Amino acid sequence: MNFFTLAAKNLLRRRGRTMLTVLGVAIAVSVLFSLLALNSGYEKELSKEVNSLGVHILAVPKGCPYEAASLIMHGGVIPKYLSDSDYRNVSTIAGVELAAPMLLHQFMKKDEKTGVSTPHIIYGINMEETRELKPWWTVEGRFFSDNETGVMLVGRSLADKENLSVGQVLPVGPKKENFTIVGILGRTGDQDDQFHFFPLKEAQRVFNKQGMITTIAVKVRDVSRIAAVSQEMEKIPDIQVVTMTQIMGTIMNLAGSARSLLLTVIAIALIISAFGIINTLLMSVNERTREFGMMKAIGASGLDIARMVLAETVFITLLGGILGTVAAVVGSSIIEGFVKGMLPYSPGGSLISYSPELVGFALAFSVLLGLVCGIYPAIKSSRLSPMEAIRGGFE
Amino acid sequence: MSGIIEAKGLCQVYRRGREEIQALKNVDFCLEAGEFVSIIGPSGSGKTALLNMLGCLDTPSSGSLRLNGIEIAGQKERDLVKIRRENIGFVFQQFYLMPTLTARENIELPLLFSKKKRSAKRIEEVLQMVGLADRGDHLPGQLSGGEMQRVAIGRALINDPKIILADEPTGNLDSATSEMIFCLFSELNKRGLTLVVVTHNLDLARRAEKMYTLRDGRIVSCEERACAEGM
Repeated sequence: MNFFTLAAKNLLRRRGRTMLTVLGVAIAVSVLFSLLALNSGYEKELSKEVNSLGVHILAVPKGCPYEAASLIMHGGVIPKYLSDSDYRNVSTIAGVELAAPMLLHQFMKKDEKTGVSTPHIIYGINMEETRELKPWWTVEGRFFSDNETGVMLVGRSLADKENLSVGQVLPVGPKKENFTIVGILGRTGDQDDQFHFFPLKEAQRVFNKQGMITTIAVKVRDVSRIAAVSQEMEKIPDIQVVTMTQIMGTIMNLAGSARSLLLTVIAIALIISAFGIINTLLMSVNERTREFGMMKAIGASGLDIARMVLAETVFITLLGGILGTVAAVVGSSIIEGFVKGMLPYSPGGSLISYSPELVGFALAFSVLLGLVCGIYPAIKSSRLSPMEAIRGGFE
Repeated sequence: MSGIIEAKGLCQVYRRGREEIQALKNVDFCLEAGEFVSIIGPSGSGKTALLNMLGCLDTPSSGSLRLNGIEIAGQKERDLVKIRRENIGFVFQQFYLMPTLTARENIELPLLFSKKKRSAKRIEEVLQMVGLADRGDHLPGQLSGGEMQRVAIGRALINDPKIILADEPTGNLDSATSEMIFCLFSELNKRGLTLVVVTHNLDLARRAEKMYTLRDGRIVSCEERACAEGM
């Protein structure tokens, strides 16, 4: 028999109360664990998604804030444009491997059955350059060539949602011109699955934006020269340069407020749980005053009593920590769904990422929580005078 | 001859709110090694206060108390713990057994606090001594009152104390069981153990070698068994 088995056996005396306290700790640790897992997963997925653009630098019209650049990534439309000449200037800068002009256009489409209008995004692109940026693109049907007219590609999710198939003809633009779907993109797992893709010139013509470009995506030859190339690009009067690192930072900031809200929730959950543990321990210590008196009479020191109370607390919180971590891992998909709904921008892949260090941290945190919560009840019980305790005169 | 316990002019004052209670008033008391002593007296006469003082659970307000030659008055709680561990075994009226520990584990409990090496042989020996050799694996809830008190006596014996102090050890037991507990005490005394038993039961108290009577915090009489039997 040692202090830990003694503590465990003591806790079994009040099974119901112990289990409820363990449950409280488990919920708190589970939420904490999920948030931390989400934090690392979010950054990982975001950087994966930004990299999936295959782009190092985005050129956007001057006066356009970073937030707008982030919107472009997600298919947002901004009411300012660059020109074809800007594109030519950018492509000639030394160190630029590839510059791809893009025009974004958004239109609302009414669902005939439900009558609800949803925004649709059209990307005008040069296919040759885009395929160099995104070598992982595959297609069912075929890709279009840059000089073709009346053709389009659609993303996989969009095709599935709207029941589109290769060969289907859709009316597009103010004049309802007929465009044929020549190919459906293979699933990419990112935002490309949601878009319509037109040859750039066709998009400019149909939407009356001849010579206009929303953004120029730039891939540099040597990633260590990203800063130098962006400096060169900034010399072009109309252009504002945004690097992917900046975009990631902007998105992280956007998500930041939502994350601080989540952190507050966790902090409150932990505080409530801590007070619950302290309350349970104090009740149990008060009930056992005479018992502690007896223990002191048979040779226990104040330190022995404190150690026993602390062992009981750590037992409760460690058990709660283990349960909470297991619950977080098992229920991660539910938590992820909930959190995705709360964040203003969430990458496509799995947001929750676990590591052995994180599990270790959650368990170490549980032990620390136990020590912190147990300290007051432990000191209180260790200071009992054996005489007073046996007489039950403990307030 | 110097005793194992020597008390001179022992006073104990408690406060209960604004009220001051004099539990012990100028008590002189001497206990020789190997003696079996009982203390009787009405409720509130100071029996338990005296016993707690002898067991170093409390220090005197004034006067001197020496245990094995060591002065107890003025000692710190830390030192009192050590003195208790090495010298005293306590038996209480309510047994105070841990309900989730078996008889064997309850007896073993003081070893956990004294950091002495657990000896299975010693635990079995004590179980045998208190007549519970076959009940070691039972939980207190599965034992009778007499058996529970015997476990408590076993727990008091495990650290090999010099003195056993028992506070109303038969207060919760029927007369037949009380008789058995006193027989056990007599037997332990015959093996050389010093015993002080506080009790309300006059018949049992008379079986000790000496019987002190306390009233209003003072020792008012001391009967010796030899004399009592001679009268």
